[in-house]
Amino acid sequence: MTQPTTIASSLAPPFSMVGKYFLAAIASFVLLSGLLVFNASELQGHYFQPKLLALTHIATLGWITMVMFGAMYQLIPVVLEVKLFSAKLGELQFWVYLLGILGLVYGFWNFQVGSHFTASAALVMLAILLFVVNVFFTMTKVTNWNLTGFYLLTSLVYLAATAIAGFLLSINLGFPFISRIHLDYLKIHAHLGFIGWVVMVIMGVSLKLIPMFGLSHGFSAMPAKIAYVLVNIGLLGTTVEWLLVGPEWLLRVYIILLVAGIFCFLLQLALIARQRIKKSLDLGMRFSAVAFGYFFLSTMAGVLLVFGDIGDVKTKEALVLAYGSTVLFGFFSSLIVGQMYKIVPFLVWFHTYSDRAGKEPVPMLKDMFNERLGIIQFGLFNLGLIAVILGLFIVSSRLVHAGFILMFISSVIFAVNIGNVFRLRMHNGLQRADS
Amino acid sequence: MVSKEQILNTLRMVVDPELGINVVDLGLIYGVEVKNKTIDITMTLTTVGCPLHESMVEAVRHVAQMSDLTKIVDVHLVWDPPWTPERLTPSAKAILGQ
Repeated sequence: MTQPTTIASSLAPPFSMVGKYFLAAIASFVLLSGLLVFNASELQGHYFQPKLLALTHIATLGWITMVMFGAMYQLIPVVLEVKLFSAKLGELQFWVYLLGILGLVYGFWNFQVGSHFTASAALVMLAILLFVVNVFFTMTKVTNWNLTGFYLLTSLVYLAATAIAGFLLSINLGFPFISRIHLDYLKIHAHLGFIGWVVMVIMGVSLKLIPMFGLSHGFSAMPAKIAYVLVNIGLLGTTVEWLLVGPEWLLRVYIILLVAGIFCFLLQLALIARQRIKKSLDLGMRFSAVAFGYFFLSTMAGVLLVFGDIGDVKTKEALVLAYGSTVLFGFFSSLIVGQMYKIVPFLVWFHTYSDRAGKEPVPMLKDMFNERLGIIQFGLFNLGLIAVILGLFIVSSRLVHAGFILMFISSVIFAVNIGNVFRLRMHNGLQRADS
Repeated sequence: MVSKEQILNTLRMVVDPELGINVVDLGLIYGVEVKNKTIDITMTLTTVGCPLHESMVEAVRHVAQMSDLTKIVDVHLVWDPPWTPERLTPSAKAILGQ
């Protein structure tokens, strides 16, 4: 009988393409964590400051969206059982995107918002649109649509909208043309990105991955379906109200729908967790579980901001920053770190060992990184984050600073730990053709 | 001639790298039939669209082939009936912390 060619070659895109996104994301994460240590004082008062905008975009573009690009290129072919439209386009997109982010972050940091800045924003937008086109054409070949697919397809629309809104905002910073105040549009840009793109993808992907990792079977997916409808109506409605400045009560209705959708999704996760066969939480799932806890907290903080009627400006500013930090670090970073502990070992295993399985001893995924080191990282990260959130609340720059130091150490440990997984590929895979 | 039990035993060498449990104890092997010229194996995976798909199927095929080089091994991947946790053996359940 003939041996098939490398198993990894069938649906999965090349390791080198997906791996680039992951490595760049980890580098951004460490850079972000390091910069926060030295610029903790920027995180006070109003959020619209050059360095804070630079840090936010390292987080959202360099870390969060970068890793999501890699993960989606990896997962979509598997989850939706199709071949990626073009791996070459994915490779090209990476470089355009990287160049764009570097220019954009430099422009924000030094607040040089002229034509170079706008050109960088254009590159970021172009790269994002390349991604949207690539995934969209991949999806045209899908025959087995599922709820995850709908979530991902919808997220593409929001991603494109976020990128276009961001590009327009970048022009407006240098050459003001939008008559309304900039911050109104910034709010739309941020929420389209965070909820429409990031949260939408997280919802769709969780629906597939969390049951897969926990071996959950026989749960109802109804809450996830309701969540899909509510979050979309809520987000679209909120955006339109913000854009047209409609009546306040209508805006509140849309926000309630949005929040109800998020709670439906959290209920879905609880159902999945209850049905799981694999009871113990490994490192990756521990990070993920805590992340969803922060998601709940940040949603509550968001509700408080909208309905709390906080008169005091200082308290409101502190709450906005605490809300932002809980979403960015508590929810997104924690979930990404957790899922990378699941996805990266799998990715390396798949491309390095999958065609040796059953023929020679191959490692288990959890043996490919140092779990104990990961648990220390987990502790440092959460201790640091709690210090940061608390410090922002009680306006203690010392506490915020201490928190960021712990989170930076944690990010370095993560980079080393996941870096070692990549090195397994270098040691074992280089003599084989890159599959 | 190699027996069904012998093949099932060798299939325990194929381990799911995520769960650390072999395909037999996971209850993924629905049937093994040893015929004159072929070995027919029917198996499933825990989830449709499982990323380990081809890797597991190929490993099962390879291991079965090693147990009898003279026969042609056919591995059929089926989704019906779908896998359920009831198919786990007691030792697999123990590993999963049940």
